[in-house]
Amino acid sequence: MKSNREKLRDLLLEVLLLSDEEFSFDLNREQVETWDSLAVVAIAAGVDETFGYHFTPDEAVGITAVHDIIKVLEREGISFADA
Amino acid sequence: MQMHEQWKRRWNLAQLKSVKLGEPHIIASNSVRSIVSKQLPWPLIDRVGAIPLEAETLVVVGGGSLIDRVKVFRKNDWPSLKLVAIPSIWGSGAEVSPVAVLNGVAKDIHFSDDLIPDQYVVWPELAQSAPIDLLRFACGDVWAHALEAFTSPLATPEIRRQAAELMNEIAKYPLAYDERWFDASSAACLLQARSGVGLIHGFAHVLEPKLRSSDLAANWGHAKLCSTFLLPVLRFNLSLSPRVQNLAKEFGLDLERVLATAKTLFLPEEYASAMAEAERNWEGIARDRCSRTNCVLVRRDSVEFFQRFRAAGVTA
Repeated sequence: MKSNREKLRDLLLEVLLLSDEEFSFDLNREQVETWDSLAVVAIAAGVDETFGYHFTPDEAVGITAVHDIIKVLEREGISFADA
Repeated sequence: MQMHEQWKRRWNLAQLKSVKLGEPHIIASNSVRSIVSKQLPWPLIDRVGAIPLEAETLVVVGGGSLIDRVKVFRKNDWPSLKLVAIPSIWGSGAEVSPVAVLNGVAKDIHFSDDLIPDQYVVWPELAQSAPIDLLRFACGDVWAHALEAFTSPLATPEIRRQAAELMNEIAKYPLAYDERWFDASSAACLLQARSGVGLIHGFAHVLEPKLRSSDLAANWGHAKLCSTFLLPVLRFNLSLSPRVQNLAKEFGLDLERVLATAKTLFLPEEYASAMAEAERNWEGIARDRCSRTNCVLVRRDSVEFFQRFRAAGVTA
């Protein structure tokens, strides 16, 4: 079974059209050309589907890096500690 | 445009005739030219290039494509021209929408409040003689707007409340001529313009230009594609997330009735034929800007769901 980190990585590869090599958990919005406003909506839908948590509008707007997504989800009790 | 502003811009035919418009000219699609020329006393012209310089008002009567073309012309080339839009059939909502979609090799989507016509007119008789299939597809178009506005991740609770109310209402209408569809269509279009659309429109936008050129006999258009993909996309969304079901419960939407209508609108053979094109263009559909705001994430492998749906047909 995939860890939450792997699930989040798969989701972001899909939404942001990145290859394995291009992805890192340190990425932020400014570094990724495909991370536009539509991608924010798609990330929100994907997070809901994958982790069962729906971002509030403020949370969605405030997400500018992969770490921000993890921070919100950890606050909701979803662990991203390495397996 | 908010919902209450919609009604301020709405006239009926008698109001249109009684208002002083100042040198109006009319552009009408072929299917309604005869009735338009009998009912309206103003000159009928063939193309926007024929509008005389002294004209103050242009009345456009036709389907969504014609209204959208004129909206873009007015915005870009003649912003001071007053524009009155009269849809010849419901569905597109082009008469109230800040969106205009131009058909070409690919869809060219424009979005601006300057595209909204100054007034629109509900003239139900124009749709009375439309072919039964077209009327039915137009109903599917309204359903697609209302449903995708409701499920859009960008929708506010107020938009969802209004969309649910609208869908519960149109579920009572026949999927055939009924003049109430005109107002429902304008309302659905405004709701989606204030929230977003999803994968149904992703399919429609990518496939329409391709099917129009590759499958001429089937007469593919936006409304037919929306009708065809309403059920499969709804099933797809329901299969991957409890969100739509939860929203339906929260806002009092009768989801069973929506599903029953989507099933009635579904055309298995047309779906199979459209899916052949969709498989060839899946990357484009999955990456379309409408698909990217679908309520469920559209992935590279999501096409497999739609292939399985084709195999199962209407019973899926």
